[in-house]
Amino acid sequence: MFKRVRLRLRDMKTISKLITGADKHANSFGEEKPGAEHFVLSALNLPDGSASRVFQKFGIDSDKFREAIKEQYRIALTSVGIDPQVVEIDPEPFQSEKIFKSSQPSGVELMKSLHALKEQDKDRPLSGAHVIAVVASQEFGVTARALKVLGVDRDDLSNALREELKSI
Amino acid sequence: MPDKKSLPSADKPEEALAAVVALRHMADQLERKAVKAAIGQGWSWSEVAEALGVSKQAAHKRHAALIKSSKG
Repeated sequence: MFKRVRLRLRDMKTISKLITGADKHANSFGEEKPGAEHFVLSALNLPDGSASRVFQKFGIDSDKFREAIKEQYRIALTSVGIDPQVVEIDPEPFQSEKIFKSSQPSGVELMKSLHALKEQDKDRPLSGAHVIAVVASQEFGVTARALKVLGVDRDDLSNALREELKSI
Repeated sequence: MPDKKSLPSADKPEEALAAVVALRHMADQLERKAVKAAIGQGWSWSEVAEALGVSKQAAHKRHAALIKSSKG
């Protein structure tokens, strides 16, 4: 009982860090609200280090994932005949003082799925690996395309996550 | 302008939808840069709204935080 309460308090702190980090990453991309890709970047910086350890197995760090987000936009623009170099726009960073200003739909879905995943995994503390586990199940969207750019197979990622979660 | 024939076809919805997301992202970034520049050059919110084809309230709601944060 007492262990559960402590675990819950710890999870709340992790969620707070995750959201604050996602907001920061969204703002640095010139976006007000975070999407799933910004939650991934935030998870990679969580102190538990689990998300980062899993990505390292694929040779990916936070900078490489950031670049892959940009690259998937470039590829998509090229597919409609736009030269991404010509329209390269430096994002206008936000410096919002608002905390938890809601998310883009992909961010909302990620948080819902994260909650559902944690309901099934009550004995382990919430970790960055849980966040990556949620996005590993997504077939479409910016995050899925960024992972494709990086050559990450979703099944391999899911297997690596299972191993990581077992070790927590 | 890209040749319409070079646009992703409806048979490739994944590619076409990815392009839609990227175009929206690009348009959002361009809009924010342009609004910031316009306000910086002394445009009123009414003028910005008229140029964007939206209401003054909508323009203000969407961009006021950016302008405030860039001034702060």
